Amino acid sequence: MTTATANPAADRSRMKGAALALPALLLLLGFFVAPVLSLLVQSVTEPSFGLQNYRELIATPTYATVFFNTFLVATLVTFFALVLGFPVAWALAVLPPRWAGVIFAVVLLSMWTNLLARTYAWMVLLQTTGVVNKSLMALGIIDTPLALINNLTGVTIGMVYIMLPFIILPMQATLRTIDPATLQAAALCGASRWQAFWRVLLPLALPGIASGGLIVFVMSLGYFVTPALLGGTSNMMLAELIAQLVQSLLRWGMGGAAAFVLLVITLALYAVQVRYLGAGRTAVGG
Amino acid sequence: MTNFKTTALAGVLASAALTPALAQDMVFTSWGGTTQDAQQKAWAEPLAESDGLNVLMDGPTDYGKLKAMVDSGNVSWDVVDVEMDFAIKAAEEGLLEPLDFDVIGRDDLDPRFTTDHAVGSFYYAFVIGYNKAVLGDNTPETWADLFDLEAFPGKRTFYKWSAPGVLEIALLADGVSAEDLYPLDLDRAFAKLDTIKDQIVWWGGGAQSQQLLASGEAPLGQFWNGRIFAVQQTGVDVGISWQDNLTTADALVVPKGAPNKDAAMKFLARASSPEGQAEMAALSGYAPTNLKSPELMDPEVAKTLPDAHEDTQIDLDVAWWAENRDMLADRWYAWQAE
Repeated sequence: MTTATANPAADRSRMKGAALALPALLLLLGFFVAPVLSLLVQSVTEPSFGLQNYRELIATPTYATVFFNTFLVATLVTFFALVLGFPVAWALAVLPPRWAGVIFAVVLLSMWTNLLARTYAWMVLLQTTGVVNKSLMALGIIDTPLALINNLTGVTIGMVYIMLPFIILPMQATLRTIDPATLQAAALCGASRWQAFWRVLLPLALPGIASGGLIVFVMSLGYFVTPALLGGTSNMMLAELIAQLVQSLLRWGMGGAAAFVLLVITLALYAVQVRYLGAGRTAVGG
Repeated sequence: MTNFKTTALAGVLASAALTPALAQDMVFTSWGGTTQDAQQKAWAEPLAESDGLNVLMDGPTDYGKLKAMVDSGNVSWDVVDVEMDFAIKAAEEGLLEPLDFDVIGRDDLDPRFTTDHAVGSFYYAFVIGYNKAVLGDNTPETWADLFDLEAFPGKRTFYKWSAPGVLEIALLADGVSAEDLYPLDLDRAFAKLDTIKDQIVWWGGGAQSQQLLASGEAPLGQFWNGRIFAVQQTGVDVGISWQDNLTTADALVVPKGAPNKDAAMKFLARASSPEGQAEMAALSGYAPTNLKSPELMDPEVAKTLPDAHEDTQIDLDVAWWAENRDMLADRWYAWQAE
């Protein structure tokens, strides 16, 4: 409608920008901040006022195991997603646009397919009588089926697959800004391919790797569906525990405490990111 | 633009305010799947015809949501299908409305599944199920067979959640007699379960149990009898053993502060009636909780239901479970996560 053309209008335009964000902020306040606060309140008031829920959370070995599982899975998933995602991101950055477009479409398409459907697909593939085991046995590579599901392997495979787009997109954004000429320069200076990778490409790609890795790590910490379907009971993660506490045991206080601890950990990780890498680089595709 | 919005908003508010006044609607929440379909056909559809009562379906049942609704005074469910031990516990905690037995006939209801706050929804049995295509003639007959890794190597499946069933099965398999089951000897039950723990695949819902059995992923295990019935209907060759089948019922309850209490009582009257229970049983493969229903049923169908196997039946003690629900859940999930 009105465009800020003159200089004195700059301040007003900034105000307007802030005003435009207001609906989003109100939405967050009403539908995110308020429920989280009420959960926090419940965690110190149910069943009675005090920190007993947090004390129980720390003192009970089961909960410690669940926290350990959660971090173990998040670490494994982040590691494998980085290792598998880096070559794809690099290909996206250097291939001619037509081919890059095809790869891009495949990556995005997997992201747009329903999460539950994809997880069930993995169940069909990985189970004892599933496609993977049957093929390997038909080829004579294995005699007895591998245990690929209802354990840590199943959770890791399923989650790495789901997290890949979230790591590929920020990485390729960073990799794209790297001038391929720098690698040529490294080669001209006598660097081997490995040296060029370790000492030139990797350091330059680090911001993308760090932000992609952090996004995946944080998302993995709170993941529910895939661990619940592909994991066994001894791999229970925090989100599953919270659902159980709230849904079947009606222990909202304990559930709130567990959720709040997860939130604090996530925010702490975000703070580390902002401190060392700058907030601007966190955005996907930034 | 603004005018349109205001009008639309006023319209929404007005209709929201008017809906309770019309009051011929109510909401029924159950577990979804084939069971809820049967409940809709047997109970909701006839009520719509006879009384013009419009029963809206919701689901799945979620105890956390139910408690949150009651606590916040913002209840949107009128009748909920829950497990019996939860029904007893929830009534004690004041989460449920007492039922109006002037509207609901109590005389013919199976007293095992009827309380002041709940009527039986359907009565089911945990049975031994097996996939004949995988196991051939070597079929399990007793709960002890599920723990016999030599006769039946490979995966077996059990119910995942802390609920009456698996602990009882472990004790029966370990030689405890039905009369001596309660109070459950938890150490002994977990020790017995430890002997097969790494061969157990847990099923969290009925559909998953069917998938595990039919695919042969876990060719034997503990199942709800109705789910085996449904798999058999699809033509998959699965067998069933009723030896020491463990029974309890699901319960129908009304959350405290339900908005359409009168309609809810009418619904419960239909659901627990001889006809309602007979139709539900025929559709679901679960047994009726009304003692007058069996005489209304096709004998061919009736003989496939849990109440035809009362000679080998053991009642799960849901009252004991209700009393110890939290303690049992703590032990159960701690053991599972080990």
